[in-house]
Amino acid sequence: MSALLEIENLRVAFNTRHGEVTALDSVSLTVNAGETLGVVGESGCGKSITALSVMGLIPSPPGRIAGGAIRLAGEDLTRVSEARMRALRGAELAMIFQEPMTSLNPVFTVGDQIAEAIMLHQKVGHAQAFRDAVALLDRVGIPSPDRRARDYPHQLSGGMRQRVMIAMAVSCRPRVLIADEPTTALDVTVQAQIFDLLNEIQRDFGAAIILITHDMGAISEMADRVAVMYAGRVIEEADADDVLDHPQHPYTRGLISCIPALGKGDTELREIPGVVPPLHRLGAGCAFAERCAHRNGRCDSGKPLLVNHGHHPAACHAVQEGRI
Amino acid sequence: MTDAVAFKPESPAREAWRMFRRNIPAMIGVVVLSIIVLATLWGTFFFAGNPYEIVWAPHEAPGVAPEFLLGTDYLGRDIFAGLVTGGGPTLAVGAAAAAITMVIGISLGALAGFYGGWVDNLLMRITEFFQVLPTLLFAMVLVTLFSPTLTTIALAIGVVSWPQTARLTRAEVMKIKELEYVTAARAIGAKNRRIIWQVILPNAAPPLIVSATLTIGVAILFEAGLSFLGLGDPNTMSWGLMIGSNRAYILDAWWPVTFPGLAIFLTVFSVSLIGDGLNDAFNPKLRER
Repeated sequence: MSALLEIENLRVAFNTRHGEVTALDSVSLTVNAGETLGVVGESGCGKSITALSVMGLIPSPPGRIAGGAIRLAGEDLTRVSEARMRALRGAELAMIFQEPMTSLNPVFTVGDQIAEAIMLHQKVGHAQAFRDAVALLDRVGIPSPDRRARDYPHQLSGGMRQRVMIAMAVSCRPRVLIADEPTTALDVTVQAQIFDLLNEIQRDFGAAIILITHDMGAISEMADRVAVMYAGRVIEEADADDVLDHPQHPYTRGLISCIPALGKGDTELREIPGVVPPLHRLGAGCAFAERCAHRNGRCDSGKPLLVNHGHHPAACHAVQEGRI
Repeated sequence: MTDAVAFKPESPAREAWRMFRRNIPAMIGVVVLSIIVLATLWGTFFFAGNPYEIVWAPHEAPGVAPEFLLGTDYLGRDIFAGLVTGGGPTLAVGAAAAAITMVIGISLGALAGFYGGWVDNLLMRITEFFQVLPTLLFAMVLVTLFSPTLTTIALAIGVVSWPQTARLTRAEVMKIKELEYVTAARAIGAKNRRIIWQVILPNAAPPLIVSATLTIGVAILFEAGLSFLGLGDPNTMSWGLMIGSNRAYILDAWWPVTFPGLAIFLTVFSVSLIGDGLNDAFNPKLRER
């Protein structure tokens, strides 16, 4: 069975004042219906660019898809017309954004905004769309939805707004739902509620979810499979439990060891030294080499490929050589 | 549910209105402008007198005859009749010119700001071309080329004053199009046209409304200026025309020029007060300074 969404060797390039830089390099990911794929990595690793590529929303210029394919049920999204892409957006592909504070239009009521989304893809009148919007608000757990539908975004709390965003995203029962750090801007207690909601929605609607996050806790709670990204490449990919219990790549190990554990007596927060290198300064070697404790000469001369060296696929020379 | 918020729904427009109502100068502007508009409506639809009719001796001072409260002009025509009937064309030209300004300015500015690139370059060069022309001279040329009717005067004023609106709209659109809710609108499958008109422009409305209000004032002054220079519509009574035709006798009789001048002043002033009030109502941060 072929996957619902297949990203194959995707390369995305941006024109910058440093010349053309490759923001995504041979990224391959697959998601099946009803499955949640977690995409993790620090800021600037290409997680959001991956999401925007799938939605066909890479700002162009300066960005462009320079190679590879994104197939939704076999249809290559990098080759379809803009009109077809528009029809897919919202209906088949939907996205939830990081900042519920700024991703709703401040001058319309939330009910109207959801109704608009419905009317863009279904031939229904405004009254019916508005009733559907109220039902959706009820479905995402907003109390007295008929009153809240007439509220403006600034009258709702962050958690409520994210629920509205989710209601809007699922309004046309999309097959793929991309959640780009959906809980980063929210309180921890609200985060858990939003994850519960996403899980419920997935059960009801059977959507595939791509959860983009830098929070390993969110991954362990939500994801079936995990792809770890670093500097525009997927460096490790496997079932969530495998990645969490047996991380291969030194970067993944670093990410997991950075999760503070309660009651372990750690007094200091751990961190991975250094930062993600600027994309225009990536050399011939492994992008993580500068921050890696297992670096040797080979790491500086060639990029490691994502291959299975035993447990599950990881892109690391040290793992391949059995040094870690 | 812990994240429920319970306070009374209030739309952004309503909130702005609440702010506006507390602004005393702006409310004075509303009152004065309402009086002027009501007087003009009355003069246009119910006033029986004829502003062109010679009713008395020329240059009779105000208050001398109770039936000609504001005196007569150099031909012996009733100034009061001129004021109440001339207000309609003056206000209509001002409003029409402002509407033309806003339509051209917002359309071009929105396209330039949204699409950027060569569209922006082309439209902005055109805008600059119009911007560097001396506006009054250009309007005079237009009115002279075509016969001076109310329509051509309104068009001429509109054609010379849109560049500022275009620049303002462009700047607002460029700012708003980068915001996340625009990307979110794209992500639900909205078209560019829809994004420009239903997502970006409603959010750019506050400064544009303020600018439209102020444009009405400028357009009224413009019309008065053209009439004063003798380029107004000679067949339609307007405040500018009254000033223009009586200006030669200003040293002999002050009132035929002063009353229409006051009417223009009060109209433009009250429109400006309203514009300022709207600006404050839409920009609470500015007001707190």
